[in-house]
Amino acid sequence: MDPPLVNESSFSAANPSSYSLAEIWPSPIHGAEAGLRMGNLGHGFGESSGHRDGSMEESTVTEQSGGGCGRKRRDNESNGKRTKISGSKNENGGSKAEAEATSVAGNKSADQSNKPAEPPKDYIHVRARRGQATDSHSLAERARREKISERMKILQDLVPGCNKVIGKALVLDEIINYIQSLQQQVEFLSMKLEAVNSRVSLSPTIEGFNSKDLGAPPFDAAGMLFGPQAAREYAHGSQHEWLHMQVGGGFDRAT
Amino acid sequence: MNPKTYHHISSNPSSVKSRFTRGFLRAFKKIKRQQRPYLYGRVKIAADKSLALAVGSRRAWSRALLWKIHYKAWRQRSRFNNKKKLLKENKKNKKNKKKKNDDEEVGFRHAKELRKLVPGGEAMDLCSLLDETAHYIKCLITQVQVMKSVDQIYSF
Repeated sequence: MDPPLVNESSFSAANPSSYSLAEIWPSPIHGAEAGLRMGNLGHGFGESSGHRDGSMEESTVTEQSGGGCGRKRRDNESNGKRTKISGSKNENGGSKAEAEATSVAGNKSADQSNKPAEPPKDYIHVRARRGQATDSHSLAERARREKISERMKILQDLVPGCNKVIGKALVLDEIINYIQSLQQQVEFLSMKLEAVNSRVSLSPTIEGFNSKDLGAPPFDAAGMLFGPQAAREYAHGSQHEWLHMQVGGGFDRAT
Repeated sequence: MNPKTYHHISSNPSSVKSRFTRGFLRAFKKIKRQQRPYLYGRVKIAADKSLALAVGSRRAWSRALLWKIHYKAWRQRSRFNNKKKLLKENKKNKKNKKKKNDDEEVGFRHAKELRKLVPGGEAMDLCSLLDETAHYIKCLITQVQVMKSVDQIYSF
Protein backbone atom coordinates (compact mmCIF):
# COMPACT_ATOMS: atom_id res chain seq x y z
CA MET A 1 0.00 0.00 0.00
CA ASP A 2 1.28 3.42 -0.80
CA PRO A 3 -0.55 5.68 1.70
CA PRO A 4 2.11 5.22 4.38
CA LEU A 5 4.78 6.09 1.83
CA VAL A 6 2.86 9.16 0.78
CA ASN A 7 2.51 10.06 4.39
CA GLU A 8 6.23 9.94 5.06
CA SER A 9 7.18 11.80 1.94
CA SER A 10 4.63 14.51 2.58
CA PHE A 11 5.85 14.98 6.10
CA SER A 12 9.46 15.13 5.02
CA ALA A 13 8.41 17.72 2.47
CA ALA A 14 6.38 19.54 5.07
CA ASN A 15 9.00 19.59 7.77
CA PRO A 16 11.54 21.84 6.02
CA SER A 17 8.96 24.56 5.66
CA SER A 18 8.16 24.50 9.35
CA TYR A 19 11.85 24.48 10.19
CA SER A 20 12.44 27.45 7.97
CA LEU A 21 9.58 29.21 9.68
CA ALA A 22 11.08 28.48 13.04
CA GLU A 23 14.41 29.87 11.87
CA ILE A 24 12.87 32.98 10.41
CA TRP A 25 10.53 33.74 13.27
CA PRO A 26 12.04 33.66 16.75
CA SER A 27 10.56 32.19 19.89
CA PRO A 28 7.57 34.45 20.80
CA ILE A 29 5.82 33.73 17.52
CA HIS A 30 6.68 30.08 18.02
CA GLY A 31 4.55 30.09 21.13
CA ALA A 32 1.76 31.80 19.24
CA GLU A 33 2.09 29.15 16.56
CA ALA A 34 1.64 26.41 19.09
CA GLY A 35 -1.50 28.07 20.34
CA LEU A 36 -2.82 28.45 16.83
CA ARG A 37 -2.06 24.85 16.06
CA MET A 38 -4.04 23.74 19.06
CA GLY A 39 -6.99 25.84 17.95
CA ASN A 40 -6.80 24.61 14.40
CA LEU A 41 -6.68 21.00 15.42
CA GLY A 42 -9.71 21.66 17.56
CA HIS A 43 -11.93 22.69 14.66
CA GLY A 44 -10.02 20.73 12.05
CA PHE A 45 -12.94 18.49 11.19
CA GLY A 46 -15.39 21.25 10.54
CA GLU A 47 -12.89 23.18 8.49
CA SER A 48 -11.94 20.25 6.30
CA SER A 49 -15.52 19.38 5.54
CA GLY A 50 -16.37 22.98 4.79
CA HIS A 51 -13.38 23.26 2.49
CA ARG A 52 -14.48 20.18 0.60
CA ASP A 53 -18.03 21.32 0.23
CA GLY A 54 -16.93 24.67 -1.04
CA SER A 55 -14.34 23.43 -3.47
CA MET A 56 -16.20 20.61 -5.14
CA GLU A 57 -19.86 21.58 -5.06
CA GLU A 58 -21.07 18.03 -4.41
CA SER A 59 -17.95 16.92 -2.71
CA THR A 60 -16.70 13.53 -3.77
CA VAL A 61 -14.73 12.30 -0.84
CA THR A 62 -12.46 9.39 -1.56
CA GLU A 63 -12.29 7.26 1.47
CA GLN A 64 -10.73 3.91 2.13
CA SER A 65 -12.84 1.38 3.93
CA GLY A 66 -10.10 0.10 6.21
CA GLY A 67 -7.63 2.91 6.75
CA GLY A 68 -9.67 5.83 5.64
CA CYS A 69 -8.89 7.79 8.75
CA GLY A 70 -5.24 8.12 7.87
CA ARG A 71 -5.83 10.26 4.84
CA LYS A 72 -8.39 12.39 6.55
CA ARG A 73 -6.01 13.10 9.37
CA ARG A 74 -3.34 14.10 6.91
CA ASP A 75 -5.74 16.45 5.21
CA ASN A 76 -6.60 18.03 8.49
CA GLU A 77 -2.99 18.56 9.34
CA SER A 78 -2.23 20.15 6.04
CA ASN A 79 -5.20 22.42 6.53
CA GLY A 80 -3.99 23.25 9.98
CA LYS A 81 -0.58 24.18 8.64
CA ARG A 82 -2.05 26.36 5.96
CA THR A 83 -4.21 28.26 8.39
CA LYS A 84 -1.32 28.49 10.81
CA ILE A 85 0.84 30.07 8.20
CA SER A 86 -1.87 32.44 7.19
CA GLY A 87 -2.29 33.38 10.83
CA SER A 88 1.36 34.27 11.13
CA LYS A 89 1.00 36.25 7.93
CA ASN A 90 -1.72 38.32 9.54
CA GLU A 91 0.54 39.09 12.45
CA ASN A 92 3.58 40.20 10.54
CA GLY A 93 2.54 41.12 7.03
CA GLY A 94 3.55 39.29 3.86
CA SER A 95 7.03 38.01 3.17
CA LYS A 96 8.58 35.84 0.49
CA ALA A 97 9.37 32.93 2.75
CA GLU A 98 5.79 32.65 3.85
CA ALA A 99 4.53 32.85 0.32
CA GLU A 100 6.86 30.02 -0.59
CA ALA A 101 5.73 28.02 2.37
CA THR A 102 2.06 28.43 1.47
CA SER A 103 2.77 27.48 -2.11
CA VAL A 104 4.60 24.38 -0.91
CA ALA A 105 1.68 23.54 1.30
CA GLY A 106 -0.73 24.06 -1.57
CA ASN A 107 1.28 21.82 -3.88
CA LYS A 108 1.51 19.22 -1.22
CA SER A 109 -2.21 19.19 -0.62
CA ALA A 110 -2.77 19.05 -4.38
CA ASP A 111 -0.42 16.08 -4.55
CA GLN A 112 -2.30 14.42 -1.77
CA SER A 113 -5.64 14.93 -3.41
CA ASN A 114 -4.29 13.65 -6.72
CA LYS A 115 -2.47 10.62 -5.47
CA PRO A 116 -5.32 8.71 -3.82
CA ALA A 117 -7.37 9.10 -6.98
CA GLU A 118 -4.86 7.05 -8.98
CA PRO A 119 -5.50 3.60 -7.50
CA PRO A 120 -9.27 3.50 -7.78
CA LYS A 121 -9.69 -0.08 -6.66
CA ASP A 122 -9.04 0.46 -2.98
CA TYR A 123 -11.19 3.52 -2.58
CA ILE A 124 -14.91 3.85 -2.30
CA HIS A 125 -16.39 6.98 -3.75
CA VAL A 126 -19.02 8.40 -1.50
CA ARG A 127 -21.09 11.28 -2.66
CA ALA A 128 -22.14 13.55 0.18
CA ARG A 129 -24.87 15.98 -0.69
CA ARG A 130 -25.31 19.25 1.07
CA GLY A 131 -26.67 18.79 4.54
CA GLN A 132 -25.42 15.26 4.94
CA ALA A 133 -22.90 14.41 7.59
CA THR A 134 -19.33 14.06 6.41
CA ASP A 135 -17.55 12.56 9.37
CA SER A 136 -15.89 9.25 8.79
CA HIS A 137 -18.42 7.04 10.56
CA SER A 138 -21.45 8.26 8.70
CA LEU A 139 -19.53 8.19 5.42
CA ALA A 140 -18.56 4.59 6.01
CA GLU A 141 -22.10 3.75 6.99
CA ARG A 142 -23.45 5.39 3.85
CA ALA A 143 -20.95 3.51 1.73
CA ARG A 144 -22.02 0.26 3.34
CA ARG A 145 -25.68 0.99 2.79
CA GLU A 146 -25.07 1.88 -0.85
CA LYS A 147 -23.12 -1.33 -1.30
CA ILE A 148 -25.94 -3.36 0.21
CA SER A 149 -28.58 -1.74 -1.95
CA GLU A 150 -26.41 -2.32 -5.02
CA ARG A 151 -26.13 -6.01 -4.19
CA MET A 152 -29.85 -6.15 -3.60
CA LYS A 153 -30.42 -4.70 -7.05
CA ILE A 154 -28.19 -7.35 -8.59
CA LEU A 155 -30.08 -10.03 -6.74
CA GLN A 156 -33.39 -8.55 -7.83
CA ASP A 157 -32.29 -8.76 -11.44
CA LEU A 158 -31.21 -12.33 -10.89
CA VAL A 159 -34.35 -13.67 -9.28
CA PRO A 160 -37.31 -13.83 -11.68
CA GLY A 161 -40.44 -11.97 -10.67
CA CYS A 162 -38.55 -9.96 -8.05
CA ASN A 163 -38.46 -6.62 -9.84
CA LYS A 164 -41.97 -5.63 -8.91
CA VAL A 165 -41.54 -6.35 -5.23
CA ILE A 166 -40.90 -3.30 -3.08
CA GLY A 167 -39.16 -3.43 0.26
CA LYS A 168 -36.01 -5.18 1.30
CA ALA A 169 -37.69 -7.72 3.51
CA LEU A 170 -40.03 -8.90 0.76
CA VAL A 171 -37.20 -9.05 -1.76
CA LEU A 172 -35.18 -11.14 0.67
CA ASP A 173 -38.19 -13.37 1.15
CA GLU A 174 -38.39 -13.89 -2.59
CA ILE A 175 -34.67 -14.63 -2.78
CA ILE A 176 -34.91 -17.14 0.03
CA ASN A 177 -37.86 -18.85 -1.63
CA TYR A 178 -36.02 -18.98 -4.92
CA ILE A 179 -32.89 -20.50 -3.38
CA GLN A 180 -34.98 -23.04 -1.54
CA SER A 181 -36.80 -24.01 -4.70
CA LEU A 182 -33.52 -24.36 -6.58
CA GLN A 183 -32.05 -26.51 -3.85
CA GLN A 184 -35.14 -28.67 -3.83
CA GLN A 185 -34.89 -29.01 -7.59
CA VAL A 186 -31.30 -30.16 -7.26
CA GLU A 187 -32.32 -32.64 -4.64
CA PHE A 188 -35.18 -33.92 -6.73
CA LEU A 189 -33.00 -34.26 -9.80
CA SER A 190 -30.34 -36.11 -7.88
CA MET A 191 -32.99 -38.46 -6.51
CA LYS A 192 -34.17 -39.03 -10.03
CA LEU A 193 -30.67 -39.72 -11.24
CA GLU A 194 -30.11 -42.07 -8.37
CA ALA A 195 -33.27 -43.88 -9.33
CA VAL A 196 -31.99 -44.11 -12.90
CA ASN A 197 -28.75 -45.40 -11.51
CA SER A 198 -30.36 -48.10 -9.45
CA ARG A 199 -32.69 -49.04 -12.27
CA VAL A 200 -29.70 -49.58 -14.52
CA SER A 201 -28.07 -51.75 -11.87
CA LEU A 202 -31.12 -54.02 -11.69
CA SER A 203 -33.55 -53.89 -8.84
CA PRO A 204 -37.07 -54.95 -9.78
CA THR A 205 -38.72 -53.55 -6.64
CA ILE A 206 -37.70 -50.00 -7.50
CA GLU A 207 -38.83 -50.42 -11.10
CA GLY A 208 -42.45 -49.69 -10.33
CA PHE A 209 -41.56 -46.64 -8.28
CA ASN A 210 -39.46 -45.36 -11.15
CA SER A 211 -42.18 -45.61 -13.74
CA LYS A 212 -44.55 -43.75 -11.46
CA ASP A 213 -41.94 -41.11 -10.78
CA LEU A 214 -41.05 -40.56 -14.41
CA GLY A 215 -44.70 -40.35 -15.31
CA ALA A 216 -44.91 -37.08 -13.40
CA PRO A 217 -45.02 -33.91 -15.54
CA PRO A 218 -41.61 -32.46 -16.45
CA PHE A 219 -40.32 -29.98 -13.91
CA ASP A 220 -39.33 -26.39 -14.56
CA ALA A 221 -38.43 -23.44 -12.42
CA ALA A 222 -41.85 -21.81 -12.61
CA GLY A 223 -43.59 -24.96 -11.54
CA MET A 224 -41.07 -25.61 -8.83
CA LEU A 225 -41.74 -22.26 -7.21
CA PHE A 226 -45.02 -23.59 -5.98
CA GLY A 227 -43.47 -26.94 -5.26
CA PRO A 228 -43.07 -26.90 -1.48
CA GLN A 229 -46.78 -26.71 -0.69
CA ALA A 230 -47.69 -29.53 -3.00
CA ALA A 231 -44.85 -31.59 -1.63
CA ARG A 232 -46.00 -30.95 1.90
CA GLU A 233 -49.54 -31.99 1.14
CA TYR A 234 -48.31 -35.10 -0.54
CA ALA A 235 -46.15 -35.88 2.45
CA HIS A 236 -49.13 -35.52 4.80
CA GLY A 237 -51.24 -37.81 2.71
CA SER A 238 -48.59 -40.46 2.40
CA GLN A 239 -47.89 -40.32 6.09
CA HIS A 240 -51.51 -40.96 6.94
CA GLU A 241 -51.63 -43.88 4.59
CA TRP A 242 -48.45 -45.21 6.01
CA LEU A 243 -49.78 -44.94 9.56
CA HIS A 244 -52.93 -46.67 8.49
CA MET A 245 -50.96 -49.51 7.02
CA GLN A 246 -48.88 -49.72 10.16
CA VAL A 247 -51.93 -49.93 12.32
CA GLY A 248 -53.47 -52.50 10.02
CA GLY A 249 -50.32 -54.59 10.13
CA GLY A 250 -50.32 -54.41 13.89
CA PHE A 251 -53.86 -55.71 14.07
CA ASP A 252 -53.00 -58.50 11.72
CA ARG A 253 -50.10 -59.44 13.86
CA ALA A 254 -52.23 -59.25 17.00
CA THR A 255 -54.95 -61.51 15.55
CA MET B 1 -30.90 -27.49 -23.16
CA ASN B 2 -32.82 -24.29 -23.33
CA PRO B 3 -30.75 -21.48 -24.85
CA LYS B 4 -33.11 -18.85 -23.52
CA THR B 5 -31.92 -19.41 -19.98
CA TYR B 6 -28.33 -18.49 -20.77
CA HIS B 7 -28.80 -14.84 -19.98
CA HIS B 8 -29.15 -15.66 -16.30
CA ILE B 9 -25.49 -16.51 -16.11
CA SER B 10 -23.57 -13.39 -16.90
CA SER B 11 -20.20 -14.07 -15.28
CA ASN B 12 -18.09 -16.73 -17.02
CA PRO B 13 -20.89 -19.04 -18.09
CA SER B 14 -18.97 -21.45 -20.22
CA SER B 15 -16.13 -22.30 -17.91
CA VAL B 16 -18.04 -23.05 -14.72
CA LYS B 17 -20.78 -24.81 -16.60
CA SER B 18 -18.54 -27.00 -18.69
CA ARG B 19 -16.30 -27.79 -15.76
CA PHE B 20 -19.26 -28.71 -13.62
CA THR B 21 -20.69 -30.87 -16.40
CA ARG B 22 -17.45 -32.73 -16.85
CA GLY B 23 -16.91 -33.25 -13.15
CA PHE B 24 -20.45 -34.28 -12.48
CA LEU B 25 -20.58 -36.76 -15.36
CA ARG B 26 -17.32 -38.30 -14.22
CA ALA B 27 -18.58 -38.66 -10.67
CA PHE B 28 -21.92 -40.00 -11.85
CA LYS B 29 -20.29 -42.65 -14.02
CA LYS B 30 -18.09 -43.62 -11.13
CA ILE B 31 -21.12 -44.05 -8.91
CA LYS B 32 -22.77 -46.11 -11.60
CA ARG B 33 -19.76 -48.32 -12.05
CA GLN B 34 -19.46 -49.15 -8.37
CA GLN B 35 -22.35 -51.49 -7.89
CA ARG B 36 -22.57 -50.96 -4.21
CA PRO B 37 -25.70 -51.37 -2.16
CA TYR B 38 -28.04 -48.44 -2.50
CA LEU B 39 -26.49 -45.46 -0.74
CA TYR B 40 -28.78 -42.54 -0.16
CA GLY B 41 -27.84 -39.11 -1.45
CA ARG B 42 -24.62 -39.95 -3.21
CA VAL B 43 -25.59 -38.21 -6.43
CA LYS B 44 -26.49 -35.08 -4.51
CA ILE B 45 -23.14 -35.07 -2.78
CA ALA B 46 -21.40 -35.66 -6.09
CA ALA B 47 -23.31 -32.81 -7.72
CA ASP B 48 -22.53 -30.40 -4.88
CA LYS B 49 -18.91 -31.40 -4.80
CA SER B 50 -18.40 -31.06 -8.53
CA LEU B 51 -20.13 -27.67 -8.49
CA ALA B 52 -17.89 -26.44 -5.70
CA LEU B 53 -14.82 -27.79 -7.48
CA ALA B 54 -15.87 -26.15 -10.73
CA VAL B 55 -16.25 -22.79 -9.02
CA GLY B 56 -12.93 -23.19 -7.26
CA SER B 57 -11.70 -21.76 -4.01
CA ARG B 58 -12.06 -18.08 -4.82
CA ARG B 59 -15.64 -18.02 -3.54
CA ALA B 60 -16.44 -18.36 0.13
CA TRP B 61 -19.56 -20.45 -0.38
CA SER B 62 -17.78 -23.07 -2.49
CA ARG B 63 -15.04 -23.35 0.09
CA ALA B 64 -17.63 -23.80 2.81
CA LEU B 65 -19.51 -26.36 0.73
CA LEU B 66 -16.39 -28.41 0.08
CA TRP B 67 -15.44 -28.24 3.72
CA LYS B 68 -18.93 -29.36 4.71
CA ILE B 69 -18.83 -32.34 2.35
CA HIS B 70 -15.41 -33.39 3.58
CA TYR B 71 -16.48 -32.96 7.17
CA LYS B 72 -19.60 -35.05 6.62
CA ALA B 73 -17.61 -37.82 4.97
CA TRP B 74 -15.10 -37.76 7.77
CA ARG B 75 -17.87 -37.86 10.36
CA GLN B 76 -19.51 -40.80 8.66
CA ARG B 77 -16.21 -42.64 8.62
CA SER B 78 -15.47 -42.01 12.28
CA ARG B 79 -18.98 -42.08 13.59
CA PHE B 80 -18.52 -45.25 15.58
CA ASN B 81 -15.13 -44.38 16.96
CA ASN B 82 -15.53 -41.18 18.87
CA LYS B 83 -19.06 -40.03 19.28
CA LYS B 84 -18.56 -37.93 22.39
CA LYS B 85 -15.86 -35.74 20.88
CA LEU B 86 -18.04 -34.90 17.93
CA LEU B 87 -20.93 -33.93 20.14
CA LYS B 88 -18.67 -31.55 22.00
CA GLU B 89 -17.42 -30.00 18.76
CA ASN B 90 -20.93 -29.51 17.51
CA LYS B 91 -21.87 -27.69 20.67
CA LYS B 92 -18.85 -25.41 20.33
CA ASN B 93 -19.71 -24.60 16.72
CA LYS B 94 -23.23 -23.66 17.63
CA LYS B 95 -22.02 -21.35 20.33
CA ASN B 96 -19.68 -19.58 17.91
CA LYS B 97 -22.39 -19.08 15.36
CA LYS B 98 -24.74 -17.47 17.84
CA LYS B 99 -22.29 -14.71 18.63
CA LYS B 100 -22.10 -13.22 15.14
CA ASN B 101 -25.23 -11.18 14.55
CA ASP B 102 -25.18 -7.72 13.08
CA ASP B 103 -28.03 -7.53 10.59
CA GLU B 104 -29.95 -4.70 12.12
CA GLU B 105 -31.04 -3.09 8.87
CA VAL B 106 -32.42 -5.75 6.60
CA GLY B 107 -34.90 -7.69 8.71
CA PHE B 108 -33.06 -9.80 11.20
CA ARG B 109 -34.98 -12.97 10.46
CA HIS B 110 -34.45 -12.81 6.69
CA ALA B 111 -30.71 -12.39 6.89
CA LYS B 112 -30.58 -15.25 9.34
CA GLU B 113 -32.51 -17.50 6.98
CA LEU B 114 -30.30 -16.49 4.09
CA ARG B 115 -27.27 -17.34 6.19
CA LYS B 116 -28.65 -20.80 6.74
CA LEU B 117 -29.26 -21.35 3.04
CA VAL B 118 -25.99 -20.11 1.59
CA PRO B 119 -23.15 -22.42 2.59
CA GLY B 120 -20.68 -20.69 4.84
CA GLY B 121 -23.03 -17.77 5.34
CA GLU B 122 -22.73 -17.74 9.10
CA ALA B 123 -19.29 -16.21 9.05
CA MET B 124 -19.91 -13.40 6.55
CA ASP B 125 -20.93 -9.81 6.93
CA LEU B 126 -24.03 -8.65 5.12
CA CYS B 127 -22.36 -7.20 2.02
CA SER B 128 -20.35 -10.29 1.20
CA LEU B 129 -23.32 -12.46 2.10
CA LEU B 130 -25.40 -10.79 -0.60
CA ASP B 131 -22.52 -11.02 -3.05
CA GLU B 132 -22.06 -14.71 -2.38
CA THR B 133 -25.79 -15.24 -2.62
CA ALA B 134 -25.87 -13.77 -6.11
CA HIS B 135 -23.06 -16.02 -7.27
CA TYR B 136 -24.55 -19.03 -5.53
CA ILE B 137 -27.90 -18.49 -7.27
CA LYS B 138 -26.17 -18.31 -10.63
CA CYS B 139 -24.33 -21.53 -9.94
CA LEU B 140 -27.45 -23.26 -8.69
CA ILE B 141 -29.22 -22.34 -11.92
CA THR B 142 -26.40 -23.87 -13.96
CA GLN B 143 -26.44 -26.93 -11.75
CA VAL B 144 -30.15 -27.43 -12.29
CA GLN B 145 -29.80 -26.96 -16.06
CA VAL B 146 -26.97 -29.45 -16.36
CA MET B 147 -28.64 -32.01 -14.13
CA LYS B 148 -31.86 -31.71 -16.09
CA SER B 149 -30.07 -32.40 -19.33
CA VAL B 150 -28.18 -35.33 -17.80
CA ASP B 151 -31.48 -36.69 -16.55
CA GLN B 152 -32.99 -36.32 -20.01
CA ILE B 153 -30.09 -38.22 -21.51
CA TYR B 154 -30.29 -41.06 -19.02
CA SER B 155 -34.03 -41.44 -18.85
CA PHE B 156 -34.36 -42.34 -22.54
